[in-house]
Amino acid sequence: MNTKNILYILGTLVFFLGLTMLLPLSCSLYYGEGDAAAFLYSIAVALCIGALFYFLFKPVNGTIGLTHKEGFLIVATGWFLAALFGAFPYMFHGVLPHFSDAFFESISGFTTTGATVIPNIGDLPHGILLWRSLTQWLGGMGIIILSIAILPLLGVGGMQLYKAELPSPVKDKITPRIAETARTLWIVYIIISIVEFIMLLTGGMDVFNALCHSFTTMATGGFSTGDASIAQFHSAYIDGVITFFMLVAGINFTLHYSLIMGNFRAILSNSELRLYLGIILTAVIIITINLKQNAVYETGGYFRYASFQVVSIITTTGFTTANFDNWPSLSKMILLVLMFVGGSAGSTGGGIKCLRILLILKHSYQELYRLVHPHAVTAVKLGKRIVYPETMASIWGFFLLYLTMTIVASIILTLLGLDMMTAFSSVAATIGNVGPGFGAVNPSATYSEIPCLGKWVLSFCMLAGRLEIYTVIILLIPEFWKK
Amino acid sequence: MRVIVVGAGEVGYNIADILSKEGNDIIIIDTNEERLKSISESLDVQTITGSGSSPQVLKKAKLSQAEMMVAVTDSDETNIVACLLASAQTTAPFKIARIRNPDLNRDSALFDKAHLNIDLCINPEREAVNDVINLMEYSGASEVIDFAEGNVKLVSFYVDSECRAVGKNLEQIMEIYPDGGGILIASITRGDEPIIPSGRTVIKEKDHLFVFAKSGDVRNMLKFFGKKEEPSERVFIIGGGNTALMLAELLEKRLVGTIKVIEKKQARCEMLASRLDRTICLHGDGTDQDLLKEENIQDADYFIAVTDDEEANILSALLAKQMGAKKTISLVNKAGYNHLIPVLGIDGVMNPRRASIGKILHFIRKGKVISATPLGDEKAEAVEFIALETSDITNRPLKDIDFPKGTIVGAITRNGEIIIPGGDSVILPGDHVILVALRSSIPQIEKILTVKLDYFG
Repeated sequence: MNTKNILYILGTLVFFLGLTMLLPLSCSLYYGEGDAAAFLYSIAVALCIGALFYFLFKPVNGTIGLTHKEGFLIVATGWFLAALFGAFPYMFHGVLPHFSDAFFESISGFTTTGATVIPNIGDLPHGILLWRSLTQWLGGMGIIILSIAILPLLGVGGMQLYKAELPSPVKDKITPRIAETARTLWIVYIIISIVEFIMLLTGGMDVFNALCHSFTTMATGGFSTGDASIAQFHSAYIDGVITFFMLVAGINFTLHYSLIMGNFRAILSNSELRLYLGIILTAVIIITINLKQNAVYETGGYFRYASFQVVSIITTTGFTTANFDNWPSLSKMILLVLMFVGGSAGSTGGGIKCLRILLILKHSYQELYRLVHPHAVTAVKLGKRIVYPETMASIWGFFLLYLTMTIVASIILTLLGLDMMTAFSSVAATIGNVGPGFGAVNPSATYSEIPCLGKWVLSFCMLAGRLEIYTVIILLIPEFWKK
Repeated sequence: MRVIVVGAGEVGYNIADILSKEGNDIIIIDTNEERLKSISESLDVQTITGSGSSPQVLKKAKLSQAEMMVAVTDSDETNIVACLLASAQTTAPFKIARIRNPDLNRDSALFDKAHLNIDLCINPEREAVNDVINLMEYSGASEVIDFAEGNVKLVSFYVDSECRAVGKNLEQIMEIYPDGGGILIASITRGDEPIIPSGRTVIKEKDHLFVFAKSGDVRNMLKFFGKKEEPSERVFIIGGGNTALMLAELLEKRLVGTIKVIEKKQARCEMLASRLDRTICLHGDGTDQDLLKEENIQDADYFIAVTDDEEANILSALLAKQMGAKKTISLVNKAGYNHLIPVLGIDGVMNPRRASIGKILHFIRKGKVISATPLGDEKAEAVEFIALETSDITNRPLKDIDFPKGTIVGAITRNGEIIIPGGDSVILPGDHVILVALRSSIPQIEKILTVKLDYFG
């Protein structure tokens, strides 16, 4: 492994992260709530360390080529470093003096989970609130993909990083050059974010809240600016807008690109999209009826609550307009399952992803079909493309690892004294990058009561979930480090 | 520039590699998904699975936006259809096709604007065969590349212990060189890395030298560097494919001695025998020692192995050398084997892939470039171009021109006269200039050559 290149790229990443803190810094200077110093210190630390690595290990000439292994290592460490440096503002400001809390909050931001350990979010200064939202926005489309788009040095090496970060089992480029692909994805992401920002403004939201919520919706993050999450606005319009944009953010961004380029057929013929919308529609209908039958709310509005919550959970955003922990069991069960399903491949959503579910269903059906017709020659197809057995094996492997990690982490949490529902749902909500769960981590509560070790387990789950398990787990097997 | 490369074989891969590193947008189309997968991991290009002769696939590759189409699959028909589909576009791109069938190639009028409308047809085997003929003409050289319509040759050879240049620097060599020069050492490949030499660079044993010389001086130059002239009367060709056929046909015209072709398949032997007049067609294995002995391999001047199996070509050449053949040439496409050749003791390499890449590069270079050839391990390139009046490089001494690092002007031809330049030489407008540069500085050189041209429109 070429340590110099790795340190150079990581240094650049940290430096860049320092620069992004200028936005919350200017916000805190504007509001003057005494959190500017925290950002100043954090920026200074990030810029100094970043610049040091940048200049120490700057390659002499040419572009950097990376091997698979280096790609995995850079992406996993890059995300860890982002969370580490992103935790400094919380610590310097004093809102989260403990490192494990600050790191949990930070990684929950970057991985777009949205699980918080801060009990009174409404009391936070604006700068810190903006930083929480910004970390989610950066992590949504991916900090590595952003650096591929900006850093000219990453030619072929960019592909290794792109593959290690992109949340999708099928890693296609939409343009010949990787930097161009990364730029295109980010531009699409920015455009949709701006549209949402404007639509929230027209709904009467102030600029600060509209910005924060656009950031966290498009990233399917779920950090809000108040304890009541989206319910604080008491507006059906805002609920509607946010539902719509969560839905959009849970769709593959290459599809959005096709739509912008005027290719409607690509969207209509996309079987993953159909499954995604189908699951949402079914879940909304069942939950609406279930809520109505149990008369949970006297004022009605079941469809509004059900649709918001279903979309929020399946896209792994984690915004809430109602405390779904008080809903009937059927509704809760459906939401718990949706946490595992997740958004579409290539979206900002987490979870297992609809594409994998779709292919696993198709593959299972194919196995049954083969039992009926033992001599049949069949293939799993996606659109008109054949899904090769190696891809299928990698998807099954992912599925299994995902479930194994959930089980192992849940057991550890119960060992630490949490009740079964809290343990299981908090793992499901963090590995799926959702945020709120059930039991002690219900939407009205926070993760602050989880024991310290538990927070680290959940932090690991968030990172593994965001980087689609393989990129993180691979660093843990001894074979990876063998020369 | 958007370039569509159809066919992800060796040639397609290398063209894509070179062009993508020079900043072009490349789309590679191939039917082999595995191959594309491995390419997408090593090159920054877009890959599309499918046939290059399918309109849907080409549409997916956004053919309408492409400026160039390089069709280099193994199938002539696919290449032709891909180019035809490209011609059907409103903005027809440049079309380059690999056409291997020798029967198709003879009738080149078929490919002109009025018919198939393909801008460049390359036959890798034919290019390589020409290289071999050049090598046989200049024995001792491992590669001979033509410039200025063959008047200037870039000759490459390995320095052995008998060479009197070993241990001397270039200035000392020029002092002892007879007639005070007329040659120019343009590039030295030592190990894997190309060196663009200065006067103080010292020549070492096993260096791979690239030297510019006028075609008349090449023999003397090779003699000076300790290369003996060998006769080429008795030639063995192993393998009976199209390459062997082409080679034998050309040799029949040029040589008076005997040509023997050894081919494994009986039917192919019969076909060769019907096409060739003087050549002796032998049915058998090129590594069969008894057969080689029976046919007097010990008297062979040249042993040329051109089967499809590269490793077998190398091994059979070694075997022949051991049995007494004087010179051996092997067909080797893999660039990885290039620096093995001098170690093994094979005298020359025939490389159809590199021959075609050179031809294609020529088309791609902007400005008035007429030829471009990759050298050695392809990290350096020789470029021939016409100096324009508007260019920065004319009318001033070479030493004042701000060339990128690692660039050397190898030869200037003016009205048929050939000048091997020194630091005080001046390039005049209209001169053909041949220079050698590291690949990394090619885009800068293109800029020097074209920047003012663009300005004047």
